[in-house]
Amino acid sequence: MTTSPMSAPAPAPVRESARLVAGRALGWLRRHCELGTLPPGTTAELAHPDSIYKPLGETALAASLVLREGPASDREAKTARELLDFAWWELRGGDMLYERQLRYMMMTDPLELYTHFVRAGYRHARLDALLEHLAGLVTVYAVEQVPNRRLAIANAARLMGIDRDIDWKRLTDATWLGNTPEPWVIDWMTAYSVTHTVFHITDWGARPHDLPPRVEEYLHLWLPVWLDVWREVEEWDLFAELLIVGACLGEPYLDPAAWDALAAAQHEDGLVPRDGKEVDEDPAQRFRDHHHPTVVAAVAGTLALSRATGR
Amino acid sequence: MPNPDVSPRAAYTAAVESLADRVLGALRGAEDTVVVAHHVDGAPDPKAALAAVRVLGPDVFAPVLLGTGSFGPADVRVVTESFRIFPPAPDATPEAVWRDWTTSRLLVRYGGDDLLGAPEPRSLTDGDGDGDGDDDEQADSPWRAWSLRMARLSPLALPGIDGPVHEAADRRCRALARGATRAMLRRDYPIAACLARWLACARLRGTRPDLDVAAMVRHIELHGVGGARTALDTAIARRMLERADRTERPGGPTP
Repeated sequence: MTTSPMSAPAPAPVRESARLVAGRALGWLRRHCELGTLPPGTTAELAHPDSIYKPLGETALAASLVLREGPASDREAKTARELLDFAWWELRGGDMLYERQLRYMMMTDPLELYTHFVRAGYRHARLDALLEHLAGLVTVYAVEQVPNRRLAIANAARLMGIDRDIDWKRLTDATWLGNTPEPWVIDWMTAYSVTHTVFHITDWGARPHDLPPRVEEYLHLWLPVWLDVWREVEEWDLFAELLIVGACLGEPYLDPAAWDALAAAQHEDGLVPRDGKEVDEDPAQRFRDHHHPTVVAAVAGTLALSRATGR
Repeated sequence: MPNPDVSPRAAYTAAVESLADRVLGALRGAEDTVVVAHHVDGAPDPKAALAAVRVLGPDVFAPVLLGTGSFGPADVRVVTESFRIFPPAPDATPEAVWRDWTTSRLLVRYGGDDLLGAPEPRSLTDGDGDGDGDDDEQADSPWRAWSLRMARLSPLALPGIDGPVHEAADRRCRALARGATRAMLRRDYPIAACLARWLACARLRGTRPDLDVAAMVRHIELHGVGGARTALDTAIARRMLERADRTERPGGPTP
């Protein structure tokens, strides 16, 4: 059986596309980070944690992974460090995380955000003590969460060295992905759950062989289809998250054409649009709308570059 | 007589739906098993009815191949006539050549006396140069183009037919499953039904697909879109899966 000859030129090697995407995305995050500052007087209550606070954590995640994986250049190392310093400053050197965790014991975002800084060498002694204390309580294991969120907490606890009796198999089996279900039933929201299940089990690609073999095999089988479907409808944020999944597998799945598509969707200035809709011209709105996919692209590019040796 | 108020295209579409409906009826155990001949005999536009026989191709043999119908001399005459009125086009696509060739071979099996001028299809590995190698995950989605091509060849996905297309379907069952999953997610149920047919066929031939084909078929049926042809595709898939179940069940009768 033959297929039609490809008329498009051969895609660039993944290393090239990934380096381009990550470098441009990181630069954009650095040039625009000041659009994501917390208003003066912000306290730990945070009426809108998703607006500035969580994006600071996402920036820190991307920058910490750049440093963990070994940056492509000295310039990128400097940029990553500056982004972490900026976000840490905004969080008042960790005081904000400490106050929020102390006030809201059941919330897990302070722990999760903190781990991105810990990964890059930042510590806050009182927060360390608080997290150690909370890890000793029964309640943290009984918090009602959807399964992939439980994995997020487990990974954060593992990074902090406060994980006790975490049954990774049980946590994995409880997720949608862990059940390796009918691949044609997946929807947009569940696709995000799948990506995060993989991120947390593998600690963002640091432990690719922690994925159960049957899950790895399932992803190798269906990831190409999901990438194809969400590329077609230009859901770039989810598409880039799925590319991270490919880079987190024991045997990485790095499709040069998919990487070409992400590089083509990225704007010259490094912004990666969240979808195919028009991008607002107002800088603040652009930042609000497209900060997340640009972070995701920086992470995806960083991890793919790291794992694309010879590809 | 053709109805002057109906465009030829609409008349042909209606004829295809009507014939697909008759074949479907035969699969479901309708009393009239002289499907093809009666389709033309009772047609308001005999030429459109013959065109429909050409369009459905091997599918008109589905009832006899699945053991729910017959294929008699009157049916043979109609298929022969359909090839006379609509001979194989010299510039036919490779998929159409395969469909015509398969129809002509089936006709000989059930009493026809020549191959109706259907040219022999090219070897599957001839031609465009991409070859028929195993699905390379890292290449640019070869499974996608290949599975779409197999969807166009789905009238060949019937029991009792064998050949290089069937062997390729067995070998590249994973690509078919990916293509079917893609079609389901794109809500392209007609294509999904075509590929479910190949997956069911592969299962009947002893290959184990990577997904639950019966569940997919049920879901397509519940959507109820795509008209009689899609309904026919799912019905054929269902029959083949039932047959595979019986074969796989210990002590079950061999088909």
